[in-house]
Amino acid sequence: MAHQVHAYHMVDPSPWPLTGAVGALLLTSGLAIWMHFHSMTLLTLGLILLLLTMYQWWRDIVREGTFQGHHTPPVQKGLRYGMILFITSEVFFFLGFFWAFYHSSLAPTPELGGCWPPTGITPLDPFEVPLLNTAVLLASGVTVTWAHHSIMQGHRKEAIQSLTLTILLGFYFTFLQAMEYYEAPFTIADGVYGSTFFVATGFHGLHVIIGSTFLAICLLRQVLHHFTSEHHFGFEAAAWYWHFVDVVWLFLYISIYWWGSCLSSVERMPVISAHPVLV
Amino acid sequence: MNWTNETAAVHAQYSSLTGGRSFLHSAAFLCFQKLPRLASRAFSSSARQLKNKVPESQKIFQEDNGLPVHIKGGTGDVLLYRATMTLTIAGTCYSLYWLLIASFPQKKE
Repeated sequence: MAHQVHAYHMVDPSPWPLTGAVGALLLTSGLAIWMHFHSMTLLTLGLILLLLTMYQWWRDIVREGTFQGHHTPPVQKGLRYGMILFITSEVFFFLGFFWAFYHSSLAPTPELGGCWPPTGITPLDPFEVPLLNTAVLLASGVTVTWAHHSIMQGHRKEAIQSLTLTILLGFYFTFLQAMEYYEAPFTIADGVYGSTFFVATGFHGLHVIIGSTFLAICLLRQVLHHFTSEHHFGFEAAAWYWHFVDVVWLFLYISIYWWGSCLSSVERMPVISAHPVLV
Repeated sequence: MNWTNETAAVHAQYSSLTGGRSFLHSAAFLCFQKLPRLASRAFSSSARQLKNKVPESQKIFQEDNGLPVHIKGGTGDVLLYRATMTLTIAGTCYSLYWLLIASFPQKKE
């Protein structure tokens, strides 16, 4: 049996990049077919294929790291760089939506009434559920750090408890936000206010769900004794992602919920136009 | 501390450099020789603790059978792989079918 004389990981040939690529193809073409021909089959097939790919690909990574010992220090360094770069790309993704929000809200057009929030929009009170949501996510940041320290100190039961608490807080946030969406007095179709609000907070909510799922996988792995006090990068990656989700929320809260709910000074300037119309 | 996971995994990587027997097999052999009673109390005795099955998994996935990691787990792996690949090929064909339909002009009513 040939053994490597270097510390790097030469992966076994894998079918998952292909199945994942085809899954992406089916999702995108499926979306187009759904819109034009009202058939959801292709879309559903794409979703199933993507889920199967994600499950098997990540299962294989766990096998390679935890069961085969391939995640040596240099390999782990590469994984760390990878996760950091991925999160950075997500930061840029959200940056775009913040750009859109500030573009429209810093210089509200006459069609909106020359003010922000636009005429006719009743924004959510930032000191009600949104403030609770802020507290929930900040608390979850504390519990995930507690979980990390528990893992590093070899306190198995405490790690499981604090990780579970983190996930429950994540679910609570999602539940509260879903209630807010249902009760909101405006919709995504209500002009640029609705668009910027629901697209930015909507993508954030999706990331909360992704982060909660990642943490739940880590909880399962912790229960199954995968993590050691020195080596638990999967958990660290999940914790980094969770902190990122938390920070995005803080920016959303300050920009859209808080600043965005106050009448802008532009409103006080005389506007020579016809009756303001909500676009 | 779960040193067994870490140490066994890392040592098994470099075992051939020390000779034919893998470290994992040697360590297991020694454990059974010297500490037969303690082996049965190796896990915590608190009420609902799960036994650490990582060493068993390490043995399965480090077996020198030439199998790639995505089917090294057994029959379940192969079945799931086949199902996934079937969906991949069928899905590709189905998307090409829809491409064909979408390429032709639609009848206007």
